[in-house]
Parts: sequence; C-alpha cells; structure tokens
Amino acid sequence: MGCPIGSERADLTNSAAESAGEGNERREACNLRIKGLRGRSVQGAVGLVLFALLSLLALRTETLFPVIPAGLRRLLGASPSTDLISIALVVYSFSALILILSRMMGGDLRYRGWAHLGYLGGFYLFYLYAEALRENFWAIFAAGMTIFALEYFNLWTACQDEIRREEKLLRFLTAPNEQGREGD
Amino acid sequence: MLRSLAAKAVVPVALTVTGFVVVCCSLLYGYIRADMVSAAVRQEIGLADTIVKSTRYAMLKADRETLRQTISDIGSQRGVEHVRVFNKKGLVMFSADPREIGALVDKETEGCSECHAGETPALRLGPMEQARNFHNARGEEVLAITAPIYNEAGCAEAACHFHPEGNRVLGTLDIGLSQHDLRSNLINLQGRMVVFCAMVLVLTVGGVLALLRRNVFVPLYRLRGYARTVAGGGELPALGGAEEVEEIGGHVRDLSASLRRCQEELSAARQRVAALEKRLEE
Repeated sequence: MGCPIGSERADLTNSAAESAGEGNERREACNLRIKGLRGRSVQGAVGLVLFALLSLLALRTETLFPVIPAGLRRLLGASPSTDLISIALVVYSFSALILILSRMMGGDLRYRGWAHLGYLGGFYLFYLYAEALRENFWAIFAAGMTIFALEYFNLWTACQDEIRREEKLLRFLTAPNEQGREGD
Repeated sequence: MLRSLAAKAVVPVALTVTGFVVVCCSLLYGYIRADMVSAAVRQEIGLADTIVKSTRYAMLKADRETLRQTISDIGSQRGVEHVRVFNKKGLVMFSADPREIGALVDKETEGCSECHAGETPALRLGPMEQARNFHNARGEEVLAITAPIYNEAGCAEAACHFHPEGNRVLGTLDIGLSQHDLRSNLINLQGRMVVFCAMVLVLTVGGVLALLRRNVFVPLYRLRGYARTVAGGGELPALGGAEEVEEIGGHVRDLSASLRRCQEELSAARQRVAALEKRLEE
C-alpha cells in the first residue's frame, strides 16, 4: 500500500502547478489586453491627422480648381445653395457632438470617427461645387477638429480606465505568487 | 492630468461648447461678409448711377471741359481708385488719369466681358455682375463697377450731336473704389468674434470648473482624506458638508468602527485559544 500522505502531497503539487499555469495564462491574457487597449487609444490621434490631411487636400483642390468645369456642372446639375449647406453643417455638428457626449456616458471602447471623415469630406465637396469653399473652410475645419478631438478624448479616457482595471488585476494575479515564493 | 476627474468633466464640455461656437461664428462671419460686400456693391452702383445722371447735362450740351473737370474732381476723392468713361468702341474718352485718355480697351477685359461675352452685347446686367474685384499696383483691393450710359430720348433728339435711336448704349462709366475700409471693418469683426469665442471658452471652462470644484471635488477630496485616516485606525469626528458627503462619511466611520471591534474580538479569541493550548500541553 502506498503512502497516502505522499500521494496527497503529489496531488497538491500537481494542483499547485496547474494553478500556476493558469495564473501565467491569465497574466499573459491581461498583458495582451493592455497592449490592445494602448493600440486602440491611438486610433483617435490617427483620425485627427487624417482629417487634417483631408482639409489640406480640400484647400489644395480649391486652389487648383477654383471654377468647376462647365461639362461637370451640366452633368451634375446646379449645386444646392450655400445657405442650405451651412444649415446642414450646423445641424450635423450639433447632432454629432450630442451623440459623442451621450456615448461618453457609457464608456464605449469603439472608435466611430471614421464615418465623420466621410461626412466632412462630403461638406468640403458640396462647398467646393458651390464655389464657396474658401469662405466656409474654417467652419468645416472647426467642426471637424471639435468632433475628432472629442472622439479622441472619449476613446482615450475609456481605454485608460480599462488599462487601469487590467493593471489592477495584473497586480492581484502577480502578488500571491510573490508571497508564495517569499514563504519558500 | 487628463485622467483626473476634473479633466474628464471639464474637457468635453469646453471642447463641445467652444467648438460649436467657433463653427457658428465662422458661418455667421461668412454671412455678414457677404452682406457687407453686397451692400458695398449696391452703394457703388448707386454712386455710378449718380455720376452718370449728374454728367448727363454736360454730355447733352457736349460740354467736354465740364465733363473732364467733373471726372477729375471725382477721381481726386479719397478712396476713388479710378474713374473713366469709355465710348461705344471702348476708347477712353474721359479719365481722372490723363494718361489713360485715348487708350483702347479690349472687349474681353474683365469688366467688359460680362456684356460682350455673346454675339449680341447684353444691355442690362445684375448688380453683382456689374462688379469686379482686383488688386491695384499697391496691392490694395479695389471694387470696380461698370455702369452703361444709355441712349435716352433727349440724346437721340439733341441738336448738337445725336446718337441714332438704335444705339441703346452710348458708352460706359467705369469707377473703382478702394475696399480698404471694408477690409478693415471685416478684420475688426473677425477680431471681435475671436474675442467672443475666447470669452465663451473661458466662461465655460472657468464656470464649470468653479462649480464642480466647489460642489464636487473639494467635498470628494475631503472625503478621500477622511476615509484614509479612518481606515488607518485614526479617530475623527463626524464629517460635515453636503448631505451626500455626510452620509458617506458616516458609513465609512461605521465600517471602520465595526472592523476595529471585529479585530479586537478576534485578537481576544486568539489569546483565549493560546491560553487553552498552553493549559492542555501542561
């Protein structure tokens, strides 16, 4: 008959080894999540830079093509009035800001700035077609910078909160191991 | 710093309010500028029509000397960049600058092309089509108006020199006025709007920060210090302040007192167990 205490000790050692293995996996997973969150928080800055480049492109296009070719105008028809475009810009800015602020309350980790690149690019195109881009460029630029800065801040703070939670968990997962080693 | 509660509360509000105000001010500035330019054009057209009417009698009487002096006097006015009268063929007949007299202007030149673009010259133009902007030799912006001089009944029937009834336009008055004052006003307007936006930013950030600090952050930091001291075993009187802060402070105190009692009971129980074990060993 084998020594029961010996087998129990072996079971305990195996169980400790499995726990240590699981602990390592969880720490790895934590580190991976932290890395992913850090990468995600940079998306906001990328969005800002892309919008700045889009604005430069719009200005450059306006300088190169101050007058829309007649053929293109015949194809596309008359442009909407600049009053309508301006009203649309104000309504769009207002609703976009309200939506971002409401999402901030929920701590959303998804970046939704990419759609705004399309919308603001559309406004640049409309004003360009109406031959009123130079007069209204700064309005679109201010709207875009506000929206993208708010999206960036929203994403960054949400990611920082998550990173803080993950780091706390990582410290908790690391601490029992260190105490165990000190006991040995 | 951006991770603090204060930053999370203030930055979105400041960004949103200031950004939206800047957007609206930019659009408003565009509207005001368009209105001011439109008003300047209408005023200049009115001035050009006044000049045409006030020189009509001199033209009717073929009093070239009076006409020449009138044009010269108008040209010497502050803000008037140029004033000249062309005949039908585009020849400069009268001008505030004597060097221009006798010069021939091409129909495709800006200011002339609006009427002469098609096979038949246009007889009437809209106000904005009569106007053109350019920069003079000194780099200053000039708004020029082209006003046609129409063949009226008196002109066709006059005995001195007559124009056939079929000639609808006898010539053109071209007057250019400096836009220096308009540009100064627009720059002032821009400056005022920038100041307004800055004031909105300061009020928003300052106001929100002051209110939050007074009503939320100061009580929160006091509560944090209180909880830290009480949790460390320190004895403190009940925390005063807003109702919510008092309530939380009371709960922290109660929890700490309860924990201390439990620790004391646990310590007493350990001592009793140790005493019992010692007696058993004996």
